[in-house]
Amino acid sequence: MKTILVNPLDETPRAAGRPAPRLDSLAGKTIGLLDISKWGGSFFLDYLEKALKDRYGVEQVVRVMKPTFTKPAPDAVIDQFVKAECAAVIEALAD
Amino acid sequence: MLQSGSSAPLFSLPRLDGGDWRLERGKSALLVFFETDCPTCRLAIPYLNRLAQALDGKAEIVGISQDGEASTRELIVRAPVEFPVVMDRDLNVSREYDPQAVPTLFLIDAGGKIARTSVAFDKAGLNAIAAEMCAAIGLEPFELAGGHDGAPDTKPGCVSRHLEPRQELKIESDPAASVNLYSERGPRASRVELDDGVDPYEFCYEAGFADPLPVIPPTAERVDRMLGATRLPPDQIVARVPPNYGMATVEKIAANAVMAGCKPEMMRVLIPLIRAACDERFNIHGVQATTHFAAPLVIVNGPVRHDLRFACGGNVFSNVTRANSTLGRAFQLILTNIGGARPGELDMSTLGNPGKFSYCIAENEEENPWAPLHTEFGFDRGQSAVTLFAAEPPHGVSEHNAREGRTILKAISRALATVFSYRFCFGWEAMVVLCPEHVKTLDRSGFAKDSIREFLFENTGVPVKEYEEDGGEGTQFKQLYQRATIDGEECYRKFARPDQIRIVVAGGTAGKFSAVIGSWATGPRGSQMVCYPVD
Repeated sequence: MKTILVNPLDETPRAAGRPAPRLDSLAGKTIGLLDISKWGGSFFLDYLEKALKDRYGVEQVVRVMKPTFTKPAPDAVIDQFVKAECAAVIEALAD
Repeated sequence: MLQSGSSAPLFSLPRLDGGDWRLERGKSALLVFFETDCPTCRLAIPYLNRLAQALDGKAEIVGISQDGEASTRELIVRAPVEFPVVMDRDLNVSREYDPQAVPTLFLIDAGGKIARTSVAFDKAGLNAIAAEMCAAIGLEPFELAGGHDGAPDTKPGCVSRHLEPRQELKIESDPAASVNLYSERGPRASRVELDDGVDPYEFCYEAGFADPLPVIPPTAERVDRMLGATRLPPDQIVARVPPNYGMATVEKIAANAVMAGCKPEMMRVLIPLIRAACDERFNIHGVQATTHFAAPLVIVNGPVRHDLRFACGGNVFSNVTRANSTLGRAFQLILTNIGGARPGELDMSTLGNPGKFSYCIAENEEENPWAPLHTEFGFDRGQSAVTLFAAEPPHGVSEHNAREGRTILKAISRALATVFSYRFCFGWEAMVVLCPEHVKTLDRSGFAKDSIREFLFENTGVPVKEYEEDGGEGTQFKQLYQRATIDGEECYRKFARPDQIRIVVAGGTAGKFSAVIGSWATGPRGSQMVCYPVD
């Protein structure tokens, strides 16, 4: 007799996600920086913002902070990047 | 949206049970626009059922469904909906009345005017409408929605269907396009047929079903036996388990329970445990994905401890009974297999926690002269319950010389000062697991739970001099901490409030060893303890 097992793994149907198209260059773009609100995040993101502007010609940097690092970003946070029409968002943390 | 005082547009819509329902001039009625997948609509329905019952046919309540017939019928049975429902298939009536959210209630008076409206879930609005409808038919007014019935005073609704963007998002062949995130039934688990000669134990390991220890192969027969111990249907979704939000159907829970070695009767505890773990307050998403040590510690209280033979005495944290070990293991298997928090993938813990194999204790209520843990969450002592705490591994506190309770508490307070990180205060909770011998001494010295908590709060601190060499973790927040003099030493208090210290009695009756267990980030910005009843 053949053994039949019940699949115990997650089989939730999901939409197949596709990565967004990669950017050719950062020059002239608006880039979002998501601070997950850990303690050292602002130091790191200050540096990153400067590097993006000075080295890569980023036009504008939009900084948004999550209310807590322990939970996914709420819609209100993501909406701010959407409204600012960011070409890309970098999520960053530093303890 | 049409407001009070406007004329109510007349309409005719098909009733779900056949025929048409007409709003004609001179007819008074309460119109309830709703959607079948809106949690706020579901919250409001029982109140409207009660109102319909009180009105006893002398005034009409009509539900106007903005969804298809199949999902409307399903909701009517499941909710249940006990008043007539009509179908606004083309949303033409919705466009005329223009509710911005659902549920929206329009009370139409006999003069054909809109007498009153109530948007989303609003107890005051429901009560005002009930009072007006009762008065119109000479019925004694009553409070339809009481203040302390477990539902919030208000809850925002969902956007009305006629305002939703048209179905651009619906992509053919996209399975998720047809997934209803509020559905309570999920797909049945697939079956895997093993070829002759394949070792089922090795297969389970290779297929990624297991933690790294061997599991009992979840054969269809074993899973059926497990399902036989619950009255819930196999395809019922108990919860969606973060971080991947996988659907934990009763059948998937049963398959993992088989693998962990549970007896079928353990389904009684596993189902409420999975619900508790997925309670937003517990934030299992963060608990599973953090680099910290946290693992969910399960604490079992009440008569189910004896019914299912949970250990609460000696060796309570270790490999002592089938009940503790298999419940804790099944829970962890569900979190990884359905929730997706696999080590090295979404579980990024730096050092991990041995509790991720199984971390389940029961409280030794028989050795606890005070109120057991679950009563602090509002349950009766005779009610069984499971409590979850996002826990570090236990840290032992030995104190064999103490003749007085305060000596024991002094020893414990020094261990408490080091949870999370020595100089980091205020953001953490701790579980103090008191062993029966320590409990006896504390009880004899006149301590009870509240005075123990108070003593530990008052006496746990980190000396201010430890902060002189700045730069260590927690020193950057010292201006937020509260100063106190402890034993003549100027200190910062470790805890912000006494209730950040939880007390549980467990362990064997020989040995004066208690334990302190630190937490992960706590409060609304981290993980809050949750306690769920076990029937």
